[in-house]
Amino acid sequence: MIKILHLVKKELRQVFRDPNMLRVIFVVPMIQLLVLGYAITTDIKNLDVLLCDFDGSAISRDLLERFSHTEYFKTVPAACKPGDIERRLFAGKAVMALIIPKDFGEDLETRRQPEIQILLDGQNSNSAAVALGYCNRILLQFMQDNVRKAVSRQPVMSRSVKMITPVSRAWYNPELKSVYYMIPGVISILLTIITMLLTSLAIVKEKEIGTLEQLMVTPLTSAQIIAGKTIPFAFLGFIEMGVAMTFGVLWFKVPIAGSLPVLALLSGTFILTSLGLGIFISTIVNTQQQALFLSWFFLVSFILLSGFFYPIENMPVWVQVITYGNPLRYFIEILRELFLKGAGLNVLWPELCCLAAMGTTIFILAALRFHKRTA
Amino acid sequence: MLNSRLAPIIRKEFIHIRRDPRSLLILFLMPVLMMFIFGYAIDMDLKHIRIGVCDLSRTPASRDLIETLSASPYFNIVARYNDPRKTEDLFTRRIARAAVIIPADFAKRLEASPASPIGVIADGTDANSATLVQNYLENVFVSQSLTSSGTGSGASSGGGMPIRVKARMLYNPDMVSAHFVVPGIVALLLIMIGALLTSVTIAREKETGTMEQILVSPIKPYEVVIGKAVPYLILGFVIAVFILIFGHLWFEVPMLGSWSILLGCCVFYVFTALALGMLISTLVATQQVAMMLSLVGTLLPSVMLSGFVFPVASMPPPLQIVSRIIPATHFLVIIRGIMLKGNGPLELWPSFLAMTGVGVFFIALAVKRFRMKLK
Repeated sequence: MIKILHLVKKELRQVFRDPNMLRVIFVVPMIQLLVLGYAITTDIKNLDVLLCDFDGSAISRDLLERFSHTEYFKTVPAACKPGDIERRLFAGKAVMALIIPKDFGEDLETRRQPEIQILLDGQNSNSAAVALGYCNRILLQFMQDNVRKAVSRQPVMSRSVKMITPVSRAWYNPELKSVYYMIPGVISILLTIITMLLTSLAIVKEKEIGTLEQLMVTPLTSAQIIAGKTIPFAFLGFIEMGVAMTFGVLWFKVPIAGSLPVLALLSGTFILTSLGLGIFISTIVNTQQQALFLSWFFLVSFILLSGFFYPIENMPVWVQVITYGNPLRYFIEILRELFLKGAGLNVLWPELCCLAAMGTTIFILAALRFHKRTA
Repeated sequence: MLNSRLAPIIRKEFIHIRRDPRSLLILFLMPVLMMFIFGYAIDMDLKHIRIGVCDLSRTPASRDLIETLSASPYFNIVARYNDPRKTEDLFTRRIARAAVIIPADFAKRLEASPASPIGVIADGTDANSATLVQNYLENVFVSQSLTSSGTGSGASSGGGMPIRVKARMLYNPDMVSAHFVVPGIVALLLIMIGALLTSVTIAREKETGTMEQILVSPIKPYEVVIGKAVPYLILGFVIAVFILIFGHLWFEVPMLGSWSILLGCCVFYVFTALALGMLISTLVATQQVAMMLSLVGTLLPSVMLSGFVFPVASMPPPLQIVSRIIPATHFLVIIRGIMLKGNGPLELWPSFLAMTGVGVFFIALAVKRFRMKLK
């Protein structure tokens, strides 16, 4: 035990010898948390929309008014020349155009089904789809209100009119604040970056300068070496997690509905998995640079396949299968459920089991590879 | 002009690159793998959303509505239940993402009054998809009531919306997310390769002390910088071409603009990335800190703040300013504009200038810090 303690002490000293490291580990992530917490929402806002009204009637103005009154769109009045619209979309001055035909108001009154044209810049297919959804919502509401007005003028119509009005609520996050959802996600990503990369770099560095061989010839067993390399970073990971969470709770007011001991248990399991990955990476590469590239690759894959940005259900089945091997997937799920819903182990045990199994496997694999090299 | 002192430095750097075939392999394999996974995996548009339906009305009208929901490709009805209190259970056990509650007096109010409310409850844990789900559900209900009300051409004809909406996606008509993702991956990889490789190679010389040896030699500091930059500029460029050709051939990402303009812009983008790497290397003393800083500092911002996933316009204004100093932001506009829209210099010059400007700014800062250190 004492031997491991010495190793741990040495490792911590090495990390903190460079005061820059401390800043990189603690200050940079906090700045990112601050910035990204505000930045990200897959929701769209203030998209530039060209409004082109060939009608100019009271009805068409009412419709356009509705577009300018939402936060989703920022309206840009356009000169109503068809070439102009296309040119501005092409130049990226706007991402959407709404074209209201001539006689729109009259056609609507006389129920001749006028046709509205929507042009969308589909480069970002995802946000284009979201924008179209909002656009449809506004149009549908407009139609519904219009029908209602017609009914109030001609009560005879009311028998044929059957109007459903959806009343929407969101539970656990009634205002649908993205921050509540983003902060747990960003925390888990930062935690993965730091624990995985620090461990793999710490080992590979010793490999590169040859001190790992010196360590190997000491009476320490490889298990002890691994433990000595893991414990300090697990410790750092925990502190990082604590600082980031405090920050999230105090600054962004993210609620934590679940229990803190459960959170600690689950975070601990996750940190071990990510450390194990770091050690594993270090056993398959020779230089710090290679370790960095490999970690980068893992990180980007983990982030994009975690369900953080893109719902996992939407992925093709073979990609969904891959995501089962992604520890971040489980951890983000855990954090969200625990923070917002207050889920406990009775609900989160499958995630815990998966993480634990993954962590154990990767540790054994890493230890075996580590061992073989020394033999 | 390649003078006699510059050439050996460049040659030396190339030897460094060649000596590490594993890094090179990772550098070429990684993008291919990433494109494969993300080209297929990323799709924000929700499909098969798991919903629960609680039908308290149990009338033909309500069954009709449920029928519409189950016929829609967007929804998968995973639970039908009769007790609204069970909704909570659906969410805590993560069976459904949203629930539709049809009140007992649904059919009666549908006949009698112009508005019959219906409950839409979303699990707000994932705030972003919750918004989408609510939108989808509301749109289904409203359009259903509009069509069934027969408000279209003549009240008696039944069916048909009061307004026909024709939406057209420009520049990506089939809404293929690969077309949007592949250029993004090019941007992400190039900044990573540029910034990481340069900062690490300079930091390595600092760490091992060879930087001082070079500096006391007759070689001028700017020659060191150029000598370090040129090989990675070439390497980054080769990788960029490789990814572009692969994405073009495999994912059939269109190439509507000119290859030569795109490749020219790539050179300047790689230059900007290198400038960032230089700047990072002046801030740190060891490889490890250089790696941590360039990874933590470039990965998340380039993914989240650049418009790679989320439109910049939707971010809060202060962050939009932050996103302007991220080189990837400008490059994404350029590469997507050229490939998907066929933009030319006329549309792209502001982005090009901004991107190059950011690069020059980084270089200037780096040189300033470098000089300071020498004194």
